[in-house]
Amino acid sequence: MSALPGPVTREVTPRIARWVVAGLALVWAVPFWWMLVAAFRPAGSGADASLLPSLAPTLANFAEAWASADFPLYFLNSLALCAGILAVQLVTASLAGYVFARLEFPGRGFLFGLFLVQLMLVPVVLLVPNLKTVASLGLYDTLPGVMAPYFATAFGTFLMRQSFREVPRELEDAALIDGAGWWARIRHVYLPLTKPALVAFSIVSVTSHWNEFLWPLMVINSPDKRPLTLGLASFTLSAEGMQAWGLIAAGTFLVSLPLLAAFLIFQRRFVNSFLASGIK
Amino acid sequence: MTHALPTTQAALAAEPPAARAGRRPAARLLLPLALLSPSLVFLALFTYWPVVEVLWDATHQVTRRGTRFVGLDNFAALFADPTFQRALLNNGLYALGTVVPSLVLALAFALALNGAGRVRALLRALFFLPVMIPLVAAAALFLFLFLPGIGLIDHHLARLGLASANWLGDPDLALSAITVLTVWKNAGYYMLFILAGLQAIPDEAREAALLDGAGPWQRLRYVTLPALRPTFAFVGVIALLNAVTQVDHVFVLTKGGPSDATKLLLFYIYEQAAERYDAGRAAAATVVTLGLLAALTALSLSRAQGPEAAR
Amino acid sequence: MISWWKGAALALALAAVAGLAAPRTALATDIELFFPVPVDGALARNMTGLIKEFNDAHPDVKATPVFTGSYDDTLLKTRAAIKAGKPPAAVIMSANFLTDLAIEREITPMDDLIGKEGKDQPGKGQEAFMGQFFPALHPNALIDRKVYGVPFHNSTPLLYINADHFKEVGLDPEKPPRTWDELDAAARKLTKREGDRTTRWGLMMPSNYDYGGWILEALTMSNGGRYYNEEYGGEVYYDTPTMLGALTFWSNLVHKAKVHPAGEQKGPAVTGAFLAGQASMMIISTGSLTFIRDTAKFPFRVAFVPMNVRQAVPIGGASLVQPTGLSPEKRAAGWTLIQWLTSAEKSGWWSRATGYFAPNKAAYDLPEMKAFLEKNPDAKIAVDQLANAKPWFATYRTVPVRKAIEDELQAVLSGKRQPKEALAAAQKAADALMRPYVEDTALRLPGAE
Repeated sequence: MSALPGPVTREVTPRIARWVVAGLALVWAVPFWWMLVAAFRPAGSGADASLLPSLAPTLANFAEAWASADFPLYFLNSLALCAGILAVQLVTASLAGYVFARLEFPGRGFLFGLFLVQLMLVPVVLLVPNLKTVASLGLYDTLPGVMAPYFATAFGTFLMRQSFREVPRELEDAALIDGAGWWARIRHVYLPLTKPALVAFSIVSVTSHWNEFLWPLMVINSPDKRPLTLGLASFTLSAEGMQAWGLIAAGTFLVSLPLLAAFLIFQRRFVNSFLASGIK
Repeated sequence: MTHALPTTQAALAAEPPAARAGRRPAARLLLPLALLSPSLVFLALFTYWPVVEVLWDATHQVTRRGTRFVGLDNFAALFADPTFQRALLNNGLYALGTVVPSLVLALAFALALNGAGRVRALLRALFFLPVMIPLVAAAALFLFLFLPGIGLIDHHLARLGLASANWLGDPDLALSAITVLTVWKNAGYYMLFILAGLQAIPDEAREAALLDGAGPWQRLRYVTLPALRPTFAFVGVIALLNAVTQVDHVFVLTKGGPSDATKLLLFYIYEQAAERYDAGRAAAATVVTLGLLAALTALSLSRAQGPEAAR
Repeated sequence: MISWWKGAALALALAAVAGLAAPRTALATDIELFFPVPVDGALARNMTGLIKEFNDAHPDVKATPVFTGSYDDTLLKTRAAIKAGKPPAAVIMSANFLTDLAIEREITPMDDLIGKEGKDQPGKGQEAFMGQFFPALHPNALIDRKVYGVPFHNSTPLLYINADHFKEVGLDPEKPPRTWDELDAAARKLTKREGDRTTRWGLMMPSNYDYGGWILEALTMSNGGRYYNEEYGGEVYYDTPTMLGALTFWSNLVHKAKVHPAGEQKGPAVTGAFLAGQASMMIISTGSLTFIRDTAKFPFRVAFVPMNVRQAVPIGGASLVQPTGLSPEKRAAGWTLIQWLTSAEKSGWWSRATGYFAPNKAAYDLPEMKAFLEKNPDAKIAVDQLANAKPWFATYRTVPVRKAIEDELQAVLSGKRQPKEALAAAQKAADALMRPYVEDTALRLPGAE
């Protein structure tokens, strides 16, 4: 990630500590390094555990991974899942955020508290009853079934409420005098001014749903509806029996690549978003 | 990964919004409720209703002859189940084993890598990379790392002439192996918050300590750590929540075995519901887990309130 | 801001288009086949090829193979699909799950599809139908005198030995161990150590969930045991002398002779160690035979599982079943697929591709099978062992009842428990799991209630 802005102090942390951390960085890199080395190593070279890159790197593992699992389809499914969840969340969170930031009505505190309960009742812990609900809505084994529990977001509502409150009231009042309705006010006054919060929320939402496994595992049965994480797990399971570690490494690399690449390109945005998910 | 816990109390102490005068109460309720309804529908379906359902399931027993109310019998059976006791203990050990090392490492990383410089930026990014890959992908990599005999770790231990171990197959080691994976995956995430916390420490505090001739350890002890207390409270709660809610790697690597050594609460619930068809016990275990989560959240609120109230 | 909305909308639109563009065959009945990949090899791809062949030959049916993970995962996925009202038309189900599924009425008997023996239909009926398959397979498929499953691929555990290692330590690879005594002695000779470190294990047997229970059953049966009540789904014989002998034998190999690694060993790790020359012998499924043959870079032999009291092994493998709740069209289409998959010809092809033996006896009369066995005598040993095969452990709630003993097995192999106390604990846990069924059947007596 890019350097965080801040004072450059002459922090005299002992040199040893820095060397230890540098050493740990090597340890941290080992799984990734092995993934790269193994993915490009020819199959059957009998050197699965070697950390030295092969002298004759090959794309064969990627070709085989590509042929044995429908990664492009899994990718589209993951994309559809994240996009679908985010699209609805942006609407629900903006509306609710506006209500809690700007409208006054009896029972507001109570309703807000009711929203915040979701922060505690993490959907994944409720997976057994939620699965029943999804099935009775006819959404079992569908992508909307995976998305539905995340459509309402207490976290998003909270974040939007905080940023809406920073918007000067006068701007809304001016729009009100012009006769703008509530939607026009949200759309043209609030949302344009809270872009950073929207971006932050989007990044956090997409990252967490892109990487999710357990809930889609419960809901999805058909192979053509699997997101990347499910595809990888079943791919790993079938390849493990063949002891095809290069293949598993290649598959893991393919699955991890999109988000890793996005992170490496937009480091600062990612970092700031994650921080925004926690700061006051 | 969406955590906003300590912030909630700030929200609860809401400032009064400007009143929209000249409307009747009913009319004043109409717009807010209309705008909240999309959220409320989904919250009702997937947050409130499941709680009702879990409470109902937890107090009923479904047998081959029908369903009947059994009061707290399911809870009694749950706490008498050695596997559940084991799952509770495992989750406690797992929480301790992931939270403490993760935070210590995250602090070390943050202290060493705070500030400008290309190498530091590179290493910060490196430590953060595991956060960006799915937990199942991490598990797929560690499947080979932990493979007995021919895996990455054992292979290199053997080259050093050291005895190999059955990392995921030995009940004494399996939970530690899972813990190592979690620490690797999450330490970088916590580092991020500590870095932010470090930047919020006013320079004067450190300069004053320097002028007083404080050594690095003293400065850490008397300046940095106290300033980071709220950060630690927050990150600690996130880490604890993760220890309960993130179990994907258990599905890929151990399925709760060997001999229940890696059975965590959420996996226990899944097993009771999906494999044993014991809806009552699964629901009772869910209620206990939710209770723990609620306690953790309450703890976080009171902890976060602490420093603020002192201000 | 706007770009974000647009991006999301675009992605949604793309997804919608992809969904609409998917080809739809209007006339064919769409069915799904759930299949597991329980052991080694590129089975998933073989299955895809096989189903493609089926679809080409049957334009009125469009079958989709759905890979559902391990045997245990396949059971979970099937149950979830039934509960959600979307049952697959056919499932390749671990043969020992049929009893549990039948008790829960989650699968349907297929006798109506098989038809009745009659004057106008000679060679029909249950007896003739089941007569196609090896007799050892009948108990796991016929429940309450109804055909709940059609055997698809079956296996027995087999002893695999590394011939080079045998020669190296002065053993004759043409005479693999036949008794526990010989197995123990050979394993001791084959194990190599450097100081405290073992560089080569004499013997490895898998002990992960599903595999461990099966191997322990093989040892128990070789020790004269029965393991479970074949006639009644509410009884297992865990705390018995035959099982104590079997478990103690395994435990001694680990802790006394130190010729077998400690702790839980996963199936793929066992084959991996054998193929890497880090284990000289292993007992695993015949289903891995083709994979080992194709992969091993050294000569190997296979043999019957060594015995202590008698020559006996459980069958393994899977049968095709049909879940309840299917529409008549889907059920008929599924039945077409089941018959096609279990025909002598396809059964034989699958057997040669995997190593499982073909349950359909007629497969062994086909010329290509005869030629294959001529060339690969090891495949014949798997078939010959069938003479000693017994049904596979099947009870009410089979998976948790099996895990009850597997958790204890893993504890014994890790040195955490003594065999005797482990078996008592496993028995207690298993009895508790089966109690609802027992109370509803064997202990439901006149006068009560």
